Amino acid sequence: MLTCNKPADRMVVDAPNSNGPFQPVALMHFRDVAPAEQEKLFIQKLRQCCVLFDFLSDPLSDLKWKEVKRAALSEMVEYITHNRNVITEPIYPEVVHMFAVNMFRTLPPSSNPTGAEFDPEEDEPTLEAAWPHLQLVYEFFLRFLESPDFQPNVAKKYIDQKFVMQLLDLFDSEDPRERDFLKTTLHRIYGKFLGLRAYIRKQINNIFYKFIYETEHHNGIAELLEILGSIINGFALPLKEEHKIFLLKVLLPLHKVKSLSVYHPQLAYCVVQFLEKDSTLTEPVVMALLKYWPKTHSPKEVMFLNELEEILDVIEPSEFVKVQEPLFRQLAKCVSSPHFQVAERALYYWNNEYIMSLISDNAAKILPIMFPALYRNSKTHWNKTIHGLIYNALKLFMEMNQKLFDDCTQQFRAEKNKEKAKSKEREEAWIRIENLAKSNPQSCSNGDGGSVDRRCSELQRAQRTEGPLVSRRSELPQDIYTTQALDSPRRGEDMLTPHDRL
Amino acid sequence: MDAFKLMKELRANYEQEGYYIPKETGLNLIESTEQNGAGISAKCRDAQVEDLWGLSSFFGYSTQTFVLAVNLLDRFLALMRVQPKHLSCVGLSCLHLAAQRSAPDATLSSGHELIRIGQRRFTASDLSRMEKIVAEKLHFTSSAVTPLTFLHLYHQVALGQSPSRKEVLSLEKLEAQLKACLRCMSFSKAKPSVLALALLRHEIKAIQSEDMWEMTCHVQRHLKIADAELQCWAERVARCLSDYASPRCSRPNHKKLLWVVSRRTAQNLQSSSCSVPDLPTIPEGGWDPSQSEDSSEDLSSGEESLSSSLEGEGAYFPLHLRRRR
Repeated sequence: MLTCNKPADRMVVDAPNSNGPFQPVALMHFRDVAPAEQEKLFIQKLRQCCVLFDFLSDPLSDLKWKEVKRAALSEMVEYITHNRNVITEPIYPEVVHMFAVNMFRTLPPSSNPTGAEFDPEEDEPTLEAAWPHLQLVYEFFLRFLESPDFQPNVAKKYIDQKFVMQLLDLFDSEDPRERDFLKTTLHRIYGKFLGLRAYIRKQINNIFYKFIYETEHHNGIAELLEILGSIINGFALPLKEEHKIFLLKVLLPLHKVKSLSVYHPQLAYCVVQFLEKDSTLTEPVVMALLKYWPKTHSPKEVMFLNELEEILDVIEPSEFVKVQEPLFRQLAKCVSSPHFQVAERALYYWNNEYIMSLISDNAAKILPIMFPALYRNSKTHWNKTIHGLIYNALKLFMEMNQKLFDDCTQQFRAEKNKEKAKSKEREEAWIRIENLAKSNPQSCSNGDGGSVDRRCSELQRAQRTEGPLVSRRSELPQDIYTTQALDSPRRGEDMLTPHDRL
Repeated sequence: MDAFKLMKELRANYEQEGYYIPKETGLNLIESTEQNGAGISAKCRDAQVEDLWGLSSFFGYSTQTFVLAVNLLDRFLALMRVQPKHLSCVGLSCLHLAAQRSAPDATLSSGHELIRIGQRRFTASDLSRMEKIVAEKLHFTSSAVTPLTFLHLYHQVALGQSPSRKEVLSLEKLEAQLKACLRCMSFSKAKPSVLALALLRHEIKAIQSEDMWEMTCHVQRHLKIADAELQCWAERVARCLSDYASPRCSRPNHKKLLWVVSRRTAQNLQSSSCSVPDLPTIPEGGWDPSQSEDSSEDLSSGEESLSSSLEGEGAYFPLHLRRRR
């Protein structure tokens, strides 16, 4: 248990049976004290709450004092919510210190598997054991920040870069409730402390870089992105270069990570907000998405399709023309995907009125790209629902321009015929080679009297007489020392000589 | 086929074609019916034919099937008074009949598939009943003499002397043009032989082949087709095809169609559409160049690498400056 470093007050008494020096006294209520004394009481309560309790290894210890702390925290929340002018200058350092003592801790290593085995949707998060207290501390701090009496100019002495850095470290907590509070807290701090904004953005960038390029494991990406969403939404125009670099170097590479599903909605929102602010960023964004397009991970592909549709919903027609060809080539591949969800999601684009208007304005370029994929799959896809959707897509294309549709059909048929002709030619070439080989005088009139075919069939017969084919384990050479060690295992201590010990 | 046989075939079909032309009075009635009136209007019929064209493209039916289906449809509509709500059933049954007759060995889609893809509301038994009615009324057994019949024969005649001309005079292109014409109700009144000839001549005029043009004149004389009639339909064909060839793309209406997706995709679509963030927007602090020259103590050392502006300093006055005021 930790105590705070402030000198003990007269009202504090050392209890003889406790685990250490702490205040066992339940302090008085605010309402029972004269207004002049309330500030002093407030500070005492804050200091009292600097004492930490053990919820993890010994949950039943100090139940009475845990309750005292909880009650004190709860009372303070009420106190600052319903009273004005109680947040005076001496309170600021106490509050920040109390928060720091309670919150800033090293997070325990995760009991869930990390790396490739970690499945954010399956594995249960480890919840914070001390939550009954922590929740109230977060609640209190948030009310403190949001209070109308709160003065950032006074607080900035105590809420500095070091504080923010430690706050950001906590975002890796596994407890979603804690992250939710952290998100709101950091959001308010960003809003009120203009001097810290650049620092916060830089540190968040660093967290993302580490996540993308080093660890691929961080629990708070979604929350950080949510904060960034509200920041991006408030960007002034024209966009600063720093923000554009952030989009291209940080947000877009975040699409690469395997655990995208955890934070994808927030990420997509950020990207779309950027494009709403500055539409000239569309081309690099779309090309980057196509570059990072998942090749084997189908659920991720569906997410990308969601995001792409949201981007297309806000795209400018002039930007659309720049990206339409590579975009529809990728869509053609998605429509042909054997994974039915991917194909359905891609085909559902045709139900979007704005996308349809963009396509019909550029049908001459787009239809020749989409047509072969659609037409081929109308015959060969295994899923019946997809057939219906393909019909809808083709029907809409037909309505756009009939001649273009007919031309594409003709071209498709012509290409198919060409392919058939080519493969027939290849077949015939092989047959010609075979005939040529057969007619070779050296192969038939030799003494052994057998052509290649006969020799082959002889071999096959010989193999079959050996009996049914069984799979045999491959015979590898074995190391004699390994065999001995496996046959007679010895304990480690027996094998260590005195020379081996340190 | 040699030229003599071709001509004989032409003659034979020419004599037959009268049986397969829809009743003129019936067609007139349809053309004069108003949209949303009690009966079928020309627009209804055209829309239905468009639909059939879509379905036959999707299922890969031959042009023969489509043309036959349209022929059956027109003849039936000219004969019987059909209510608009039954039109889609009639259309689909004509298509199904035509598919069964013209390509019995090809992979045939069952009636169920047609109904499902065509997004129709009636059942397969309704479809087969309607098919029987149509076949009965039209005395339909196997095939009909359609403009396509003539088109194929004319094409062979025109190529007759030199089969290498196939690339120049493409049958596929002619078939596509025929389909475009058939989508318009006015062409149902034309005699198949005349319509096909008008179409062929239009294309030959476009490729400017003198001797093929001669061939067509020869055919016209052989079948004794009147100049005036041919000219009249030639004009209409020209107008229709120039519309068809226009590069203008119309905005399609996706709402008319039924969009059926699997349950998982539907859930996915629902959840992705409601992603409204609950954190309020933080507007970017304005940078006031008159202040903040000396308030760099809040910036970290690495700050200048990222942004050239002293972001957010405008709201903060350093204490020593403030007290002077």
